[in-house]
Amino acid sequence: MSADRKGSRWVTAGVVVAGLLAGAASGWFWLQKGMIQGESYAGWSGNSVTGSADADPWTRARVAVAGLLALNKSQAIYFTRNTDSSGARLREDCRYRVSGGTLPARWWSVTVYAADNYLPINDDQALSFDATEVQGDAAGNWTATLAPKRPESGAWASTRKAGEFDITLRLYQPDARAQADYGSIPMPKVERLDCGDQA
Amino acid sequence: MNRNLKLFGLFIGAAVIGHVALVLAVPNALMGVAMDRISQGGAVINRFQFGDRTTEKSRGVVRPSPDLAYSTCVYDLSKGPLLVTAAPSPGQSYVSLSVFAANTDNIAALDSSQYPQGIRFVLAMKGQAAPAGERVIESPSARGIILDRRLAPTAEKFAEVDQARRADSCAPLAG
Repeated sequence: MSADRKGSRWVTAGVVVAGLLAGAASGWFWLQKGMIQGESYAGWSGNSVTGSADADPWTRARVAVAGLLALNKSQAIYFTRNTDSSGARLREDCRYRVSGGTLPARWWSVTVYAADNYLPINDDQALSFDATEVQGDAAGNWTATLAPKRPESGAWASTRKAGEFDITLRLYQPDARAQADYGSIPMPKVERLDCGDQA
Repeated sequence: MNRNLKLFGLFIGAAVIGHVALVLAVPNALMGVAMDRISQGGAVINRFQFGDRTTEKSRGVVRPSPDLAYSTCVYDLSKGPLLVTAAPSPGQSYVSLSVFAANTDNIAALDSSQYPQGIRFVLAMKGQAAPAGERVIESPSARGIILDRRLAPTAEKFAEVDQARRADSCAPLAG
């Protein structure tokens, strides 16, 4: 075999290996975007095939990375967001008001997650708030707070040590209309109140 | 020039294969890691394990809910079907049993509003015989995870449901 031909084979093999690595890297990078993908509903991301055998390979892989053992929509619907209603990134050093109305599910909760997809490392005993904690008015409207310090009153989820975080809304045993049409769900708003020392 | 074009095509083709291969491999690989971790390296199979209350230190599975009590059974159907049961929680609060195949698909989910007296089914692979009259769930894979979720948003509620879930079973069919 001539030296030229040998060299050419090495180049070809190098190109194939580089391509495989680049492709795998692009796949991994894409998966790291976590749960903030899929369809968008008033700033919340959700995917109707999460947990389902109908999920495409990309959805299945994304859920495996950021939501392993997620239920299908007959049992639970998951929505996640990492921005407030103005589109700004959710941050530990800001306070947010979360507000909504009656949600079409037997029970629901909102939980704070740090960038590593785990609960923030704080001992505030307030990692989430749920349907049993909020005080709805006569029309079912409620508010809660996301902040690093406990507010004077009302439901609260602590964002202390959460850094740039995201929140997940879980609707357990959603009604048939919600399962069929995620757009029909009245999604809670997340409004920034203030940032810095006041938060 | 012609050779450079061929090499470029080869690079793109390899990149597509690398991307798709990774995406296809990730669910089974991560499920394998989770099964290994939950079963303590394969030592606890076909038996429920009852998790502690979820705290900020919980790192078993990503994005845990602090409002739920989790129990897990890593199943292996290679030697036959399992009988799986979950007792109701006090006050008929939310309980669900969900079955996940080795590729992460949630192949079944049964809950306490459908079965207020408790959840019971046989988990089997295609072709495995199950007793007549039992509800049968067919798993496409020999291995996977069964998850018992119970509503437990407070320490008091957790203590109540913890007692109730001790009656859960995930074991080979007798006989």
